[in-house]
Amino acid sequence: MAELRRLQGGAANRLPFIPIVIVVLTIMFFASSCYTVDADENAVVTRFGAYERTADSGLHFKLPFGMEQAIRVKVDSVRKQEFGFRTLASEGRSEYSDRDYTSESLMLTGDLNQAEVEWIVQYRVKDAKDFVFNVKDPEETLRALSESAVRAVIGDRSITEALTFGKADVENEARTTLQSALDLYRAGVEILRVNLQSVLPPDPVKPAFNAVNDAEQERETMINEALRDYNQVIPSAKGRAEQVVQSAEGYRIDRVNRAKGEAARFRSILTEYQKAPEVTKRRLYLEVMAQVLPQAARKIVIQDDLKGLIPLLPLDAGKGGGK
Amino acid sequence: MNSKPKLILFGIFLFFLALSSYTVDETEQAVRTQFGNPVGEPVREAGLHFKLPFIQDVRRFDKRILEWEGEENRITTKEERIMLVGTTARWRIVDPVQFLKSIRDERTARSRLDDVLDGATRSVLSANHLIDAVRSSNRSMGSSGKDDEPNPDSAEAVTVGRDKLVAMILDQARPQVESMGIEIVDFRFRRIEYDGSTRDKVYLRMTSERNRIAERFRSEGRGKQAEIEGKKDFELKQIESEAFRKAEITRGEADAEAAKIYAEAYGQDPSFYAFYQSLETLRTALAGGETTLVLSTSGDLLKHLDRP
Repeated sequence: MAELRRLQGGAANRLPFIPIVIVVLTIMFFASSCYTVDADENAVVTRFGAYERTADSGLHFKLPFGMEQAIRVKVDSVRKQEFGFRTLASEGRSEYSDRDYTSESLMLTGDLNQAEVEWIVQYRVKDAKDFVFNVKDPEETLRALSESAVRAVIGDRSITEALTFGKADVENEARTTLQSALDLYRAGVEILRVNLQSVLPPDPVKPAFNAVNDAEQERETMINEALRDYNQVIPSAKGRAEQVVQSAEGYRIDRVNRAKGEAARFRSILTEYQKAPEVTKRRLYLEVMAQVLPQAARKIVIQDDLKGLIPLLPLDAGKGGGK
Repeated sequence: MNSKPKLILFGIFLFFLALSSYTVDETEQAVRTQFGNPVGEPVREAGLHFKLPFIQDVRRFDKRILEWEGEENRITTKEERIMLVGTTARWRIVDPVQFLKSIRDERTARSRLDDVLDGATRSVLSANHLIDAVRSSNRSMGSSGKDDEPNPDSAEAVTVGRDKLVAMILDQARPQVESMGIEIVDFRFRRIEYDGSTRDKVYLRMTSERNRIAERFRSEGRGKQAEIEGKKDFELKQIESEAFRKAEITRGEADAEAAKIYAEAYGQDPSFYAFYQSLETLRTALAGGETTLVLSTSGDLLKHLDRP
């Protein structure tokens, strides 16, 4: 009897306990079977550790009580790694770390010179499953690979090429190398771009590189100055030469026309003269005299027997003298 | 009353189930061991698996590609240049049973890889020239076209090349780790750098190289300047003399033509021409108001003044 009573009492005690257990189990069931995936995420679901499926963004269900696990991976966001420098805060104005990253940035060029290269790699997760399962530390792997790839590419270029015009080439080749290595590991990472931020000669040789640029400018200046002198002289000389030639042409026309005119005039007179030589000759003579005599300032008429007078004539007084 | 032993039985069943089941993650592979010795095939498939309870244990190993970073080593190349060489490699455990038997854990594996890869790197690099580790091909290195003076160093040709060196290192290293159940997936030079003192000398050389180029620019400038000046002088003389020549020819021709015209006209009656021309001369010579004329009455003009 006593045993029975105890059993009954126990049953009475357990009565409110069972619903509580059910409620708790239900809550645990839902809590462990629902999960949400953000817009920029994918979730990789594993059942007892084995890959089951990849879920897109939204509300999803999985087997409860840890039988299935969801691993969220940000797939759409662009990630970035920096080499040779570090950005401390990227909000607003970027600040850069003062630490020395030359061990990262200093590299050998193909002509065995040194260049300091700073670059960034932008990438995103291409395949969440590969990203999570295939490589132990994808980010660190990417770092090592990227250093190796950029060095390999710069190592095949001359310092001039690396410093000046070969930038886009280097970026492309490094990106391709990097991508093919990551694909070899099936790392699930897509390299969006490799961007060379700066390629500079190392500090100790910078002045020498600047001197080359200066010298190049100097050369251009000298050439420009010489060309300026040239331009100052030659076009105007060409003009003057043209002038000389043209004025000679003018002389020719002038000379020939005058000759022709005079010849024509002479011919006309000659014709008349031949008709009546004596009269024409006389007439011409008298006409000239008639034309010339009035113009003379002084006219002195002397008779032949007064020849002795000539030395006495005041030749200089002619200017103001009377007739 | 008989639900109690059922419950107990069920509990015991669960207990054994828990002891004999295990999960293997997608990133893992596992080996069952019995008293420390591996038994059966290694488990490479992820998921739920079973083993004998109590007597069997499970050892898990990473299935992923693992990283290995080499220490920076000083290596002397064939031409006796001391270089700092940093390397990086990827590896994975391909045979967990072998791995468990020979090295047991990743840390030991890394130190074995250190030995193998550093050794292979050293032996390959010291048998080759520096340029082969730096360059991968003999592609003609572009220059901007302005300082394409042959550079003593860029003339160094690659006979082997970076990629082949890497292949040689891999060829040497891979067989040595095969027996440990390890595969080296990839090996790369992370950096190859000059050692401190060499670096300073390289800077000196680079500086002198730049100075050489700068000096050439300056001298080119001076040369070009002189050239342009010379061209200017030449062209000036050419232009001026050309013009002079043309002008003189033209004038000469003009004079000749005029002379011809005159001769043709005047040649018709030279004596009349003499008379006519003397009259013309008289007219022009006596023109103007300052002439003093002394005329004789015996002259032709005034003879009628005396004797009408």
